[in-house]
Amino acid sequence: MVDQQLLIDEVKKVVSRDDVKYVIGYKKGTSGFAISPAFAYSTEYADKFIFNPLCKKNLAAYPLLEDKLPLKREEKEDKRKIGIVAKGCDTRALVQIIQEKGLKREDLVIIGIPCSGIIDHKKITAKFPNETAYSTIEEEQGFYKITINGKVHEIAKEELLADFCSSCIAPNPVIYDVLIGEEVEPWNLEEHKNLAVLEEKDVGERWEYWKEHFDRCIRCYACREACPLCYCKECMADLLNPQWIRRSVNLSENTAWNIMRAYHLAGRCVGCGECESVCPVNIPLMELNKEIEKDVKKMFEYSAGMDLEEKPLFGTFRPDDPEEFIM
Amino acid sequence: MTVTETKTELEEFEPNIIGFLCNWCSYAGADLAGTSRIQYPANIKIIKVMCSGRVNPMYVVNALQQGADGVLIGGCHPGDCHYQHGNLLARRRMAILKNLLEFIGIDSRRVRMTWVSAAEGRKFAEVIKEVTEEIKKIGPMKDIQRVNEW
Repeated sequence: MVDQQLLIDEVKKVVSRDDVKYVIGYKKGTSGFAISPAFAYSTEYADKFIFNPLCKKNLAAYPLLEDKLPLKREEKEDKRKIGIVAKGCDTRALVQIIQEKGLKREDLVIIGIPCSGIIDHKKITAKFPNETAYSTIEEEQGFYKITINGKVHEIAKEELLADFCSSCIAPNPVIYDVLIGEEVEPWNLEEHKNLAVLEEKDVGERWEYWKEHFDRCIRCYACREACPLCYCKECMADLLNPQWIRRSVNLSENTAWNIMRAYHLAGRCVGCGECESVCPVNIPLMELNKEIEKDVKKMFEYSAGMDLEEKPLFGTFRPDDPEEFIM
Repeated sequence: MTVTETKTELEEFEPNIIGFLCNWCSYAGADLAGTSRIQYPANIKIIKVMCSGRVNPMYVVNALQQGADGVLIGGCHPGDCHYQHGNLLARRRMAILKNLLEFIGIDSRRVRMTWVSAAEGRKFAEVIKEVTEEIKKIGPMKDIQRVNEW
């Protein structure tokens, strides 16, 4: 569990540095179990900062949203750094973006937070559907202690833990400038649930499964917007010439979109689960991502966002890559 | 539908296969098969690309949407690529794409890759024969047929 005061002090220290523009972190949302991103431009903003197991949002997408307006005459470029509060998966996303030269390491001050698993918002709101506020939430030896209206609820960790956290390979930040608290012990990795079940099925049954999901897709592209790694200025889905995906919402185009989204994250997805949690029709997108992640690991011994020096998966090759499928 | 009817329908099924062949090896191989008068099934529709590394995975998906029953990607043998290593990059991409399609429930045998050099006209004909036979067995691709053009 992260000491809140330690976090606030550290954010204050970082934000008061001359070479830091602002710090991105988490604050309590407006209602229920919501968490919203917070921006500290000076020390007084930092008091709002929190970190608890509800802080699921991957903040790595925010430094990329920074507008780079054309400079006025005799105006100097603002070269100050951006501070960011980051869990394990967030730092993996940052490493991946830095690898792809989307950001520069020296432009970031990373306040790393060891994370012992994140609560799935859909699960906790299902548990407490009518609560509009909570006071504290703490983790203790396999239990979450949630205080609502002065009443303490103890709930087993497995009941609320997000599915993708069980297969997380980086609970501790991969890169950081400051680390808050002690590093946590990595846990026993489990395969994402449902993957084994799906792999057992034959092709036709799997299509029935995905057809049902893709048919529901409304192509709001929320998965793309939430993903820290979908940061292309111009997305292939938006192009009109060539128009890779027609705009009509039907099974064919939805399937093409979902294949494209999953494929573009092959060897890049860091497993933060943003896409799945923002999906308004609950398509299990992490199953696609995790399946590719597993294949990539098996075939190319590659994990995304673990090493700053590594080359992107599809930008390199090895002479002994698998080629059993080639005639 | 009776059993015999199904059988005749399958026998009559002539698959549409799109071949993305690289300019330097596979396309020249196909050319050689033609000039050497080797017979091979006419189901393949060839699209010439400069390198197998040019083949965007979305080409494959879009082809399957627009009436192709199978897609064949042809490149140079490893080490022979005109652009040093385009085919080796394509190999990685297609390995992932095939697994993804298989996981989603589209038979990954519909997407094939082959190395054919400019001197292998006979191999090209054999590959086409094999692919056509296989796609005939799998049947037409109807699952993700594009329904409108806008």
